[in-house]
Amino acid sequence: MNLVWKLLRRHISLPQLAGFFFANLLGMLIVLLSLQFYRDVKPVFSEEDGFIRPDFLILSKRISALGTIGLGSVSTFSEKEMNELASQPFAKRVGAFTASQYKVSCSMGIDGVAQLGTEMFFESVPDAFVDADLQKWHFDEGDEVVPIILPRTYLAIYNFGFAQSQNLPKISESVAGLVEMVISMRGNGRNEFIKGKVIGFSTRLNTILAPESFIRWSNERYAPDADAEPSRIILEVGNPADDAIVNYINAKGYEMEDDKLDAGRMTFFLRLVSGIVMTVGLLISLLSFYILMLSIYLLVEKNSDKMRTLLLIGYSPARVALPYQMLTVGINLLVFMLAVVALLCLRTQYMQMLANVFPKMQGGSILPAILLGLSLLIVVSIANCIVVRRRINGIWNNKR
Amino acid sequence: MDTISLNNALPNVFLQRTDIKSEIWRQQVSFEKGKTYLIEAQSGTGKSSLCSFIIGYRHDFDGCILFDGKDSRKLKAADWTGLRQKHISMLFQELRLFPELTAIENVEIKNSLAAHKTRKEIELWFEALGIADKIEAPVRLMSFGQQQRVAMIRALVQPFDFLLADEPISHLDDENSKAMADIMVAEAQKQEAGIIITSIGKHMALPYDKTYSL
Repeated sequence: MNLVWKLLRRHISLPQLAGFFFANLLGMLIVLLSLQFYRDVKPVFSEEDGFIRPDFLILSKRISALGTIGLGSVSTFSEKEMNELASQPFAKRVGAFTASQYKVSCSMGIDGVAQLGTEMFFESVPDAFVDADLQKWHFDEGDEVVPIILPRTYLAIYNFGFAQSQNLPKISESVAGLVEMVISMRGNGRNEFIKGKVIGFSTRLNTILAPESFIRWSNERYAPDADAEPSRIILEVGNPADDAIVNYINAKGYEMEDDKLDAGRMTFFLRLVSGIVMTVGLLISLLSFYILMLSIYLLVEKNSDKMRTLLLIGYSPARVALPYQMLTVGINLLVFMLAVVALLCLRTQYMQMLANVFPKMQGGSILPAILLGLSLLIVVSIANCIVVRRRINGIWNNKR
Repeated sequence: MDTISLNNALPNVFLQRTDIKSEIWRQQVSFEKGKTYLIEAQSGTGKSSLCSFIIGYRHDFDGCILFDGKDSRKLKAADWTGLRQKHISMLFQELRLFPELTAIENVEIKNSLAAHKTRKEIELWFEALGIADKIEAPVRLMSFGQQQRVAMIRALVQPFDFLLADEPISHLDDENSKAMADIMVAEAQKQEAGIIITSIGKHMALPYDKTYSL
């Protein structure tokens, strides 16, 4: 092998190989960096609400002054309206908010000291729309504790309004689970109690959310006759920035619950920009591949007599191709390793910058970027090997 | 492989000619393993073409060339590689040495394919052919006659059933061509191989089983 390499390394053009090396390095680095940046930054936009994903929209009907005194149009969604919405091209899934149909009151406290009592209500959405740990977000008949998700504003009201004025301890999100809620449910001639456990806070939902199974069970138990149409629905869409959504909602006179679409839009644009940058990286990689192929063509052309002789004295085409294949695969491997090292360095830099702006930022895993780089390495290497082999086959067949 | 047969073979460039008088072209010819053949030729009668057809470098001929009855046109790349490694060794008229390698490297690059000969055996051949002092010299600095001997050694460092030598002694004096003939015949006998030698004038003094005029 050494002698064959000694023969065939003649005419290898270092500038051409260096050109390929740096172009390929740049291309791969851009591809990996765009993916890594996307994965690192995306949680910043979606982290605000762990329970409801940004591509879920919450719709209600406008409440008019006439509606308040019972004269306006109906403010609930009929089954027909829901079906129509579900059949829209932008809609992936539609779910209804189901409200508790009985009286609920609740007292909250810490360490057995009741501190806040209030009348309240529950609502549920289909469990598939709640992005919570199913172990926690779960209720079976007979359970003594029901999990609850509260609007984050409630926490603010308590901490900055109530607790401050009453000299009560403030509650952070992480200790919210310690809040003891005793819930009293009245209706259908019963008055029963159940414990509630706050498993989290949501920015997107202006309601007190309980699992679907709990609402179904409790409505049957305390208000078996009531059957109300939902006044709010939850909608999953493919692309929250789609104009068709806004047009449809306006045409129907629906209202989108606050403008939290922004996060979804930002994620969408982040994805778009990352996609464009990644395409540019791939294009550079493709061009570098082209440089390498030209270089290999020239090299094979210049060494074709020697290769022909090797074939004539009994070397197989595969063995003649091997040195150049190993050369290209070696360069590709080096490019991959350097790209990963450069990626890690750059990532440390931008993560420090971002950490100043978003202190809670964690960043995504680096594994997908490495896997992407590896796939790129494998694809480019296989393509290189095939092209080299085809040139050698051309020499075998005496084609110029 | 025991026989190489030519069945009505003719180079394509001769197809238009009607005055072919040859004991090879357009004839039924069989070369057998273990025998020694001389093919005498004039310039331009297709001597090098014949060698190229047999070694599989070119295929622009009419008729058939058969290896043990198998049509050479049906061989795949892997078959040709095997043939060149184990069955047919060729000493090219233009030598086809690698000028950037030394004499011994030119031999080793072939010997490494099958590790057929030891370094010692190869050195003995260099001595026998009078170029032992050139063993580490770059082949491009050697005379054509010296290169011819290196090429002969390279042709011998492999297993073969037939040795095809295209004008092997064109640039050698009688003494050196005798030395070359001796080691060639000795190696061929050892391997029980056939020898096919072409010549356009001076030829090795060997006990030929048959002489053809091309």
